[in-house]
Amino acid sequence: MTRHPRARWRRFVSFAPLLVLALAACGPDVPNSIFGAHSEHGHQVDDLTRFLLELGLGVFVFVEALLIYAVFRYRHREGGPPAQQIHGNTTLEIGWTFIPAVILAFIAIPTVRLIFQTQAEAPAGSLQVEVIGHQWWWEFRYPEFNIVTANELYLPKGRAVNFSLRTNDVLHSFWMPQLNGKRDLISNRTNHLWFTPDSIGAYNGFCAEFCGASHANMRFKVFVVSPERFAQYVAHEQTPPVYPLALDTAAKPAKVAKNAPPPPPPTIPLTQAQLNTGTWPTDSLPRWVVPATPLPAMLADTMPGDAARGAATFKTAPCIACHTIQGVSAGVIGPNLTHVGSRTTIAAGLYPNDHAHLVAWIMDAPVMKPGSQMMTLGQRMMGTGGLTDQQIADIAAYLSALK
Amino acid sequence: MATIVQPPSVARHKARMEHGIWSWLNTTDHKKIGQLYLYTSLTWFLVGGLEALFIRSQLWSPNGHLVSAETYNQLFTMHGTTMVFLVIMPFSAAFFNFLIPLQIGARDVAFPRLNAFSYWVFLLGGVFMNVSWLFKAAPDAGWFGYAPLTTKAYSPGLNIDFWVLGLQILGLSSLAAAFNFITTIINLRAPGMRFMRMPIFTWMSFVTQFLLALSFPIITVAVTFLMFDRFFGTNFYTIAAGADPLLWQHLFWLFGHPEVYILILPAFGLVSEVLPVFSRKPLFGYSVMVYSGMLIAFLGFGVWAHHMFAVGMGPVADSAFSVMTMLIGIPTGVKIFNWLGTLWGGTLRFTTAMKFGIALIALFTIGGISGVMHASPPSDLQQTDSYFIVAHFHYVLFGGSMMGLFAGMYFYYPKITGKLMSEKLGNVHFWLTFIGMNLTFFPMHFLGLTGMPRRTWTYDANQGWEFDNRMATVGAFTLAVATLLFVFNWFRSMKTGKPAGNDPWGGATLEWSIPSPPPEYNFAELPNVTSRTPMWHGDPGPGPATYPAAFTPAPVRTASELGIVLPTPTMKPLIAAMGLGVAFTGVIWHKNYILIFLGAAIFVATLYNWLLTPLEPEHH
Repeated sequence: MTRHPRARWRRFVSFAPLLVLALAACGPDVPNSIFGAHSEHGHQVDDLTRFLLELGLGVFVFVEALLIYAVFRYRHREGGPPAQQIHGNTTLEIGWTFIPAVILAFIAIPTVRLIFQTQAEAPAGSLQVEVIGHQWWWEFRYPEFNIVTANELYLPKGRAVNFSLRTNDVLHSFWMPQLNGKRDLISNRTNHLWFTPDSIGAYNGFCAEFCGASHANMRFKVFVVSPERFAQYVAHEQTPPVYPLALDTAAKPAKVAKNAPPPPPPTIPLTQAQLNTGTWPTDSLPRWVVPATPLPAMLADTMPGDAARGAATFKTAPCIACHTIQGVSAGVIGPNLTHVGSRTTIAAGLYPNDHAHLVAWIMDAPVMKPGSQMMTLGQRMMGTGGLTDQQIADIAAYLSALK
Repeated sequence: MATIVQPPSVARHKARMEHGIWSWLNTTDHKKIGQLYLYTSLTWFLVGGLEALFIRSQLWSPNGHLVSAETYNQLFTMHGTTMVFLVIMPFSAAFFNFLIPLQIGARDVAFPRLNAFSYWVFLLGGVFMNVSWLFKAAPDAGWFGYAPLTTKAYSPGLNIDFWVLGLQILGLSSLAAAFNFITTIINLRAPGMRFMRMPIFTWMSFVTQFLLALSFPIITVAVTFLMFDRFFGTNFYTIAAGADPLLWQHLFWLFGHPEVYILILPAFGLVSEVLPVFSRKPLFGYSVMVYSGMLIAFLGFGVWAHHMFAVGMGPVADSAFSVMTMLIGIPTGVKIFNWLGTLWGGTLRFTTAMKFGIALIALFTIGGISGVMHASPPSDLQQTDSYFIVAHFHYVLFGGSMMGLFAGMYFYYPKITGKLMSEKLGNVHFWLTFIGMNLTFFPMHFLGLTGMPRRTWTYDANQGWEFDNRMATVGAFTLAVATLLFVFNWFRSMKTGKPAGNDPWGGATLEWSIPSPPPEYNFAELPNVTSRTPMWHGDPGPGPATYPAAFTPAPVRTASELGIVLPTPTMKPLIAAMGLGVAFTGVIWHKNYILIFLGAAIFVATLYNWLLTPLEPEHH
């Protein structure tokens, strides 16, 4: 990096406590800090923001120091001199009109330059990603690879990524604080945003435009991986899940006595692409990308399920109306579940993707996530109809197996 | 002339009409209406504050479950709507009403009955909006109500109906008041009160009225479109019919940004009255203060899209709005420096009013600086819709507007009530507010810079947000204690406070020349004004020996003794407002046309009758 021309300013305004506090916003304790961004544009924005912050701190200290000085120096004293009857001072007034104007010009020039730079056309050969906002989850499509996925976004390090942003319903805003500034998803419009991620890592993403009941729960995860790993991920996602097809004939109706141990999972040879999922290894997730949302107590008891039976149940359950599993169902209202088992979270980054949470989710999504458009399916909640606990456990096991 | 002996019941009735509850219902006295505004806003301030406490309690810890997501969304929507439309605006309106005629040497506003009507309509709007809580259908799409979330397709309930209709009602009130005050200031100034001799509060209010008159029609149009969509199935914002949701955003912020200056300029005006009096110096750079206020208002109409940098307007528009926004920082900075200039070389007396005034300078500066940061779109894209913005505008609206309004309330308390307010409790109130305010809102800067989005019902653990959220919650409760103390002090001092006399502070302007509380007619004789500071006669002097000074009030003569004719008290404005209330209730009640027409009939009939009745009793 070349020496920043504004480094001078930084020496001027190295004001202690506030600055320290502000810069403390880079540590590992604040994983979503907007400072220390991990993309090319991010660094430039970061520099500009720091410059503004430091300049602002300078102005702050200057004004407050004058104020505090005036308050102490000119407080009323018995027998002190009377107030000076000054009505104004033209020189001073011109001065404090002109000087702020000059300071603002110093801000305006790099601002306008960076606006045009970040909003230029994305470079040729950038990775195209379509982002579609839904109440309250994210759909990601890679048209280049014919991949459709949800709530977890994989990006290769070092390649420019060009997002085209649309919404299926109300407005949303696509924000990954550690990577880049946000961009709104506007109904009946397509927005664009591009940047080049430059360090491998797992990051949080948020919806930043209020979008209704579960706005707070419309999160996503971003995994920036090496180009090789990204290629593996793509290959894996492109492979149809052999699992449900193979089980189509093997599945038997559920007639297992309660409390019986679950039958051993069926052995199906996995393809190389399935073994090398390319996904972020679950055991090395940083703790801030693992959701800690507590499981509602009423949904906390779960029984083991059988994936094979689950596959059969899924095909006749209401699930298929909304969800796509390649080769099984073609619903488009909810997230694509083709490789749901290889995701780290469910419900738009709200819960970890494990058996207990999947079971609870299928049983009563609206309790798990306010306003969820996935309906309550558990027979327990619905009285009549719906899916039994065993059926739900089976479906959960099946979904987990969709690596 | 024969003496007419009234039977006791008639005398009692007359006394009730002049002093009791009736005297408030039928009043056309700008001072009484000002107080009605003040107490009503104070009530909504407590309601809005309570909503804030729920919000902060919910965010005390990650994954909190004090309220449901739906309730939370109603809480933050109503908190914002309440604080903007039902607290800061009407608090300012209380001062417009109470002060403007006194400051310009007038006996009342230009249209006293319209003034009463404005108040009753405002009350109706506030009640209408808040009644929604009883139906568990409080508005829940944010105070900014972005389409298409507010359309029937995504918000089928009554929530948004209440919001839309409530805003329409409140807009009516603001518009009527704006025209009233513009006319008052232009036409009713006392002899010699030239424009450039007007007190600075009146000036800032004058500018604010133009902002109101020019920006409220825009929100009225935007909300009318939404109302048509929701009630009559039009397609202004209907996505399925190809609508562009940015229509709403442009209209809303074209109103919404001038609205920011509607909220802050009156507070600036109040502080510009307070600082000179307690510095024993005239305001530094009076004319520059006036012109910078006008410039802020003018530029305020050209910066709206800085609320929309994330919508993708393209680099040219982003740059233009960015530079315009930075420009507005210049006149604002000039105001800050002129206040410092006012303090400089003075002999400062730290009354509670003065402390709040100085706090405005200190805190608004912080909000102004973060505002300049948002003016830079690349930087703003990391800040917009995060808690950094929440911090920013609370420094502007609490640190700015509310501090200024508190300064005004302490300063004018003796004039309004005729009593001195306890400075001791005032001092405690000030420090609790100052500390609580910073404790609540300063950590929000960090929350925003560390990635916490706004308007979120909950947040996850392990994000590094617990500590700052806890600080903010503690701060919010500190503010609640402070506010209760203020209310206690206000009402206790009305009983126990010493009489204030005409001028407890050594004030500069005409309102200090008359008794406290001012008689109905304000000025026994209209003053002849020869300077900007008529009470100082060129030299403020050291002011009273003690602050505040208590005086034994002189006997006040009644209007009839002086032969001053005052407007006849009338209930018509109230009845007309109630007619509107019936009509709007009909609209929300499944479009009940009987109620709608009944309400409209009451409104029109009362208005007709009102217009045919002369303002003042006829002379015989």
